[in-house]
Amino acid sequence: MPRLSLLLFILLASAPAWAAQTVRIGILSHRGTAATLARWQPTARYLEETLADTAFQIVPLDFSEVPLAVARSRVDFILVNSGIYVDLEVRYRVSRIATLNNRRGDRALNRFGGVIFVRRGRQDLRDLDDLRGRTFLAVDQASLGGFQMAWRVFHEQGIDPYRDFRRLDFAGTHDAVVLGVLHGKADAGTVRSDILERMAAAGRIRLRDFRVLHLRSDPDFPFLHSTRLYPEWPFSKLRHTPNALAQRVAVALLSMPPDHPAAVAGQYAGWTIPLDYQPVHDLFRALHLPPYDQEPEFTLQDALARYWPVLLLGLSAFLVVSALSAWAIRLNRHLARAKRRLEQRHELILNSVADGIYGVDLEGNSTFVNRAMERITGWSAQELIGRNQHEVLHHTRANGRPHPPEQCPVYAAYRDNRPRFVEDDLFWRSDGSAFPVEYSATPLQDEHGRTLGSVVVFRDITERKRAREQARLRQQELTRVARLSTLGEMASGIAHELNQPLTAITTNARACVRLMEAGRAAHLGQCGDILDKIAGQAERAGEVIRQIRRLARKEAPERKPLSLSGLIRGILVFIEPDAARAEVDLKVTFAVERDQVLVQGLLIEQVILNLTRNAIEALSTLSGRGRRLTLGTRPCDHTCIECFVEDNGPGLPPEVRDRLFEPFVTTKAEGMGLGLSISSGILSAHGSRLEMDTPAEGGTRFHFRLPLADVRSES
Amino acid sequence: MTPEPTIFIVDDDQEVREALQLLMDSVGLQARTFASAREYLDAFDPDLPGCLVLDIRMKGMSGLELQEQLNRESLHPPIIMITGHGDVPMAVRAVQAGAVDFIEKPFNDQILLDSVHRALEQDAEQRGRESRLAEIREHLARLTPREREVLDLVVTGRRNKVIAADLGISQSTVEAHRAKVMDKMEARSLSDLMRMMLAVQPN
Repeated sequence: MPRLSLLLFILLASAPAWAAQTVRIGILSHRGTAATLARWQPTARYLEETLADTAFQIVPLDFSEVPLAVARSRVDFILVNSGIYVDLEVRYRVSRIATLNNRRGDRALNRFGGVIFVRRGRQDLRDLDDLRGRTFLAVDQASLGGFQMAWRVFHEQGIDPYRDFRRLDFAGTHDAVVLGVLHGKADAGTVRSDILERMAAAGRIRLRDFRVLHLRSDPDFPFLHSTRLYPEWPFSKLRHTPNALAQRVAVALLSMPPDHPAAVAGQYAGWTIPLDYQPVHDLFRALHLPPYDQEPEFTLQDALARYWPVLLLGLSAFLVVSALSAWAIRLNRHLARAKRRLEQRHELILNSVADGIYGVDLEGNSTFVNRAMERITGWSAQELIGRNQHEVLHHTRANGRPHPPEQCPVYAAYRDNRPRFVEDDLFWRSDGSAFPVEYSATPLQDEHGRTLGSVVVFRDITERKRAREQARLRQQELTRVARLSTLGEMASGIAHELNQPLTAITTNARACVRLMEAGRAAHLGQCGDILDKIAGQAERAGEVIRQIRRLARKEAPERKPLSLSGLIRGILVFIEPDAARAEVDLKVTFAVERDQVLVQGLLIEQVILNLTRNAIEALSTLSGRGRRLTLGTRPCDHTCIECFVEDNGPGLPPEVRDRLFEPFVTTKAEGMGLGLSISSGILSAHGSRLEMDTPAEGGTRFHFRLPLADVRSES
Repeated sequence: MTPEPTIFIVDDDQEVREALQLLMDSVGLQARTFASAREYLDAFDPDLPGCLVLDIRMKGMSGLELQEQLNRESLHPPIIMITGHGDVPMAVRAVQAGAVDFIEKPFNDQILLDSVHRALEQDAEQRGRESRLAEIREHLARLTPREREVLDLVVTGRRNKVIAADLGISQSTVEAHRAKVMDKMEARSLSDLMRMMLAVQPN
């Protein structure tokens, strides 16, 4: 240590003179003043010898005296245990200048700890947690090594010695604690390190009778210990003590040999440079012991340490609340966006629908309209919203009469809360023209079920009506073409039917001329009769032509009550010659007196012509005689009448029978195959049905029923 | 003397039937009407001369069927078919089966009357031929068997000498028979006799 020696030399050489001054050293005395003086006088003497010009006085102070002595500056230096030092350091700004090297046997140690132990036999006490609810013995509440160090360990384990032990006793001395535990007065105890080893060395106990809990190990520390290691007693200067003096004292102390008589007397092994007392500060802080027992000095760390579960909980709660708030804000934003999007979409949908849509409130005023409505009606949204929809759109009926608002289905919908569907009505455009519509009016309710008005969805059905009318006309034209085709097939029969009267007419006329030319008076009178005959025959021909024209014209759409037998008689002019030509024996029977039916006569005639024509064709494939066709009516019940056409022909092939009424299905080599499908269509339009069956005796029988007109009108 | 020819009118249409009858009446022809083919058949008499005006299409038996029945008789009045529009194929069949003519309704009265006159002539002709054949047959019946044998050989063109050899009689006897045949058959010459025999025996 050449450097240190040099330093010491310089310091000592430059020492000022404090000859008349006595330096007072306060020393914590817990064994009585005499003992303290006996122990520390040699050290004071060493300092006087070393410093030469300064007197040193030992001032023993008990625990209660120490603070006062320091506060009042009655001492210049003070030697107290580490705990008190930390307190003084904080309160009175004392500063350590050296740390005591404690003498433990032949060793010098400047750190010490606490040891927590049980009797070895206590197998139930394996670690600190096992001590909860047990009895515990310590040295003193203020004892650093004999209680506070262990307290900190318990504290860190979440054990409060004052609360969690069944009983906490203080034995006063270290030895009493060891013996108390050994003799079962307590389940466990704590003393400062090296006590157990010292007592064992003295033969008072055997180490094997004890077991140390929470055992820690440190290569530089030879004794059993359960706690951290803390620095030994520091030698401190007070605030007022001159630095120069403090430096010289420090040098003197540090240069004292460990085996100096003063050290031996003081039971220590010299001094060392001051250690770090932060661990002691930490301990007091952790345990809220003085000087860290004041609320205002309660540090964040303490708070963290003591209230961490609460803080953690609070922090967690804060975090949760923050997260929730953030989430709520985001959700809110999201909802607002969604709402905006929904509204946009809602509007987009409303405006992209081809149907007109508008809302009506309970006053009958329009509340909203979509773009299609503006387009269809020619009214703009501004013109419509807030105005009475009925007066704008719906004021007049198709027949030109006013449409009273109380009959408006749109209002009725919200009056009785039932939706309405109107298939054919009229709405009015802004230019005063009207267009056909179909619409639905649906009552609109809020979430409480209160009716707010109604929503109307309408469609311009001009095109549909036109298409329907065109389809109807096409069907009508097709029906007519089929009828003409049937007439065409019957042409030679019809020609025959015309030829007969024409032949009679020409022949009679010529004969008459000849008679008159011959001037045979006897015959002249006859000529009048002949001319009468001619007129009758011409009428007969005219009747045939009228029938042809009737069948060839477009049918009148209205139905009239007509005699079914009358209808059949009217077309016999076509059927009879047709049957005759095919050498078919035609039989016509009318078995019903009352046979007024409400029909489109022309179409029913067409059906009967079709059926007879088919029958005759079927019969013509039959060779030889016995071709029979029966046509007529018969009663079915009092509400309707049956018309039937029956032949004894070969019958229909089964593959055709099922598809008989489909269009373009035919057994004829020539023909469109429309006859039966059109007949079937005509009858279903009359609420009837064309039916076919096969009589057991062979042939085919077609029949259909028509409701009697007078029965219908009665009902 | 043969009776006056009659126009037989068969049509199922009363108006047409009556008009035809009136027309025949107006030109002084005797007419009889029948409402159906059956009615006519029932009243049929081959000896009555005249012609038949027949509607081809009738309920029951048709005109064609009636024609078929009549063709089985040795003699019947010539047939004029009256047809409606579109019945031409049937009318052709009728003509092939021997009908004199077919006329489409409605017809010109003159055309019908011309046709009727032609038919009546034809009937008269067929009835005249029929009466001549009857005369020849009557003459033939007068011949003795030996005279008939000689006649048949003469008609084949054999000379008297050959005939005498065939029959085993003298040539003068053959000549005597020949003279008798010529006399009894009232034949003016050999060729006249040949014609008579050809008419009777077409084969």
